[in-house]
Amino acid sequence: MRAGVQSYRIVASWLLGGFVVIALALLVLPGRSYASQDREHLLAGMSAQHPAGTDALGRDRMVRVSAAFLLSLAGAVLAAAATTVAAAGVGTLAAFSPATLGRFAMLLCDVFLALPWLFLLMMVRSALPLTTSPAHSAAVTFLVLAALGWPACARAVYRGALELRSAEWMLQARATGLRRAQMMRHILPNLMPLLMPQFLICIPAFIIAEANLGALGLGIGEPLPSWGGMLLELDNSPMLMRTGWVYLPIGLLILILLLLEAVAAEVR
Amino acid sequence: MRLPRHSLKSAAVLLIAVLAAGCGRHDAARPAGELAWTIGYDPKTFDPAKVDDEESELVRYLTAGVLLRFNRSTQQVEPHLAETWSLSPDGKTVVFKLRAGLEFSDGSKLTSKDAAWSIRRVLLKDTAAPVADEFLSASGVTVETPDERTVIVHLPQRVIGIGKVFDEIAIEPADRPSEGRVTSGPFVLADYHRSQFVRLERNSHYAGRDSNGAVLPYAIAIRLDILDNHEQEIRLFERGDYDMIDSLPPDYFDLLKQKDPGAVRDLGPSLNTEQMWFNQAATAPLPAWEKRWFQSQAFRVAISRAIVRADLARVAYEGHATPAYSFISPANHVWYNRSLTVPQEDGPAARAALAKAGFRLNGSQLKDAGGHAVKFSILTNQGNAARFKMATLIQQDLKALGIQVTVVALDFPALIERLMHTQDYEACLLGLENVDPDPNAMMNVWLSSSPNHQWNPSEKTPTTPWEAEIDRAMNVQASSLNDADRKQAVDRVQQIVADQQPFIYLVYPNALYAVSPRLQGVQPAVLSPGLVWNIESLRLEGTR
Repeated sequence: MRAGVQSYRIVASWLLGGFVVIALALLVLPGRSYASQDREHLLAGMSAQHPAGTDALGRDRMVRVSAAFLLSLAGAVLAAAATTVAAAGVGTLAAFSPATLGRFAMLLCDVFLALPWLFLLMMVRSALPLTTSPAHSAAVTFLVLAALGWPACARAVYRGALELRSAEWMLQARATGLRRAQMMRHILPNLMPLLMPQFLICIPAFIIAEANLGALGLGIGEPLPSWGGMLLELDNSPMLMRTGWVYLPIGLLILILLLLEAVAAEVR
Repeated sequence: MRLPRHSLKSAAVLLIAVLAAGCGRHDAARPAGELAWTIGYDPKTFDPAKVDDEESELVRYLTAGVLLRFNRSTQQVEPHLAETWSLSPDGKTVVFKLRAGLEFSDGSKLTSKDAAWSIRRVLLKDTAAPVADEFLSASGVTVETPDERTVIVHLPQRVIGIGKVFDEIAIEPADRPSEGRVTSGPFVLADYHRSQFVRLERNSHYAGRDSNGAVLPYAIAIRLDILDNHEQEIRLFERGDYDMIDSLPPDYFDLLKQKDPGAVRDLGPSLNTEQMWFNQAATAPLPAWEKRWFQSQAFRVAISRAIVRADLARVAYEGHATPAYSFISPANHVWYNRSLTVPQEDGPAARAALAKAGFRLNGSQLKDAGGHAVKFSILTNQGNAARFKMATLIQQDLKALGIQVTVVALDFPALIERLMHTQDYEACLLGLENVDPDPNAMMNVWLSSSPNHQWNPSEKTPTTPWEAEIDRAMNVQASSLNDADRKQAVDRVQQIVADQQPFIYLVYPNALYAVSPRLQGVQPAVLSPGLVWNIESLRLEGTR
């Protein structure tokens, strides 16, 4: 059973890697841009020029889906890494601080968790200057997701670090006079089994959060493609009647999320 | 965590109430002869004197009895509650003779005193009736009632199109304003549930009769569901719950046409315009160099020349729009300037004009003489797919000039806050609905002192010579007794606007409607309310 899950994870990792390579190849091919509008071929079907057709503005749907995939994956990975690092720092420091300080740090985490994060995201996005470029708006979106995503992870790290703190080898290390900085070198590798799943779980969560923001019109600005922006097309029945390719983004998003979950499952 | 039992019960009751409310909106059995369609939001007021939004105006149109009615099809003023009317040669005295035997919906008699009271009420400063502005100097207007059927209105100065002004004044019972509950029009307000529906019932005392002497209106009631969702509206129209759709979005037009070609109507260009403009206000919180760009005629004209309007009409409106270069639509045969010289689309000419004005391409980025990268945002309102598409197409067109454009869709209150109060925006793309073909109705847009003079509102004195010339020309058209002089003045304004491009006109959207085949008597018009302007004659065949 375990070997089966392991092989499933390997397949998922390979598939994800394959998608990344294909998406990169589609983007770097000459003459293809996610923003260029072929105004003579609106909502076109499959063709040699546009393998997955075009959207309502004549933009190549395959190229846009590829760009949205790479952008959201890169943004989510970076945001998840930042979240995990922040959570590791806060959780570990809280666990190895005096108990009162540690509890206070966790109280702060609880306050963060209780915040209506969607409204906070909306507030931050709407407070950006109007001339914020699409690339900057994408960066800010993921930065905010990272800033709001760390508390849950920090709580888990705190629990794990507390267990480590009272582990026998730790007590022995402290008894032999190991300094705190030296102890940290041993603690972090021991926290990796906890941090890695947290990191992997955050990636699909951030991808979905970005898609939600985009669907609310608060995500990445045009002409940069985003999952949310493309999913908005599904709210238009004339579009659904005219081309089946409109379902490509939602189909691919679900597949990517399933693959990411599969990769995270074994580690978890 | 578990919910206490009573909370669950409350939740269940609430759910039932919500479901019941939902059913109430669309699924309740409707009486035969009741017309139904949707409005986008709750009317702000039912007081006919205080109407200043589209949905309130529709309710006033359906309920109010007026002395004169502006026929949306023939575009002529016709007597309504008045049997006859006349205007003195100097244009300062209007005499109305009321029809005999008029009654309000509660059965009380309608006399000249009620008409005079209603006119005086809209003129009072305390009423703050938007229609009062159309009298130019409302405080100087006096009203006389020599007998029960005669009303004489004295104006301190001539008002162009004074007949149309009385189309907006509902005659209510003197000293008994009822917010549409007692009317002299074809319908009365019967029921209103916030965010759900407005229901109007036939005024059984209405004096209207058809050519065969049958009682008007034919419909026994009207139900206006409050619904701001085109998907749902179209689904319910197809199911037969709604009898018409006003202002059909262009992409849905073709969808409905495929299913039932007879159900949709495209009347061609409407009188409405879609335009973009740059913020030229001196007090705007923008960098000085941006203000210099926006105040530069060469810059505005170059932007205008770079925009491919034919693509906007074809792509954003799926062909249901016409490229626009003037504030007067070609559908307005009388006032459209056919000899207008406009800056035609020409990318190389736009680049040359920018270079001449000191702009230089640095790689793919345009920079001004001071080295500032030319980039700005275009604001538009959320929820209007065609406008958002136009902004994205313009973004691409201007990229060819090296200009970086950000498209921002804001909800309407946030957009209005920026446009009218903070002035914190660079460019805006919006539409203007013209309900009156006479350009005199656009005085509030063109006079430099007006708060609706969008590119630079409420100027104390005209900032530029061309704005001063527009002021002069608009005042000439507003006061001249000679139609040729008026036409000449309006033609001149159109030419100045084409030369200066304070508004960069983009398209005239077509008037698109959907009408149920069971609805009889419909004569669609481009003027609002385009489908129900002859509401008295609309009749639903069969049952819903």
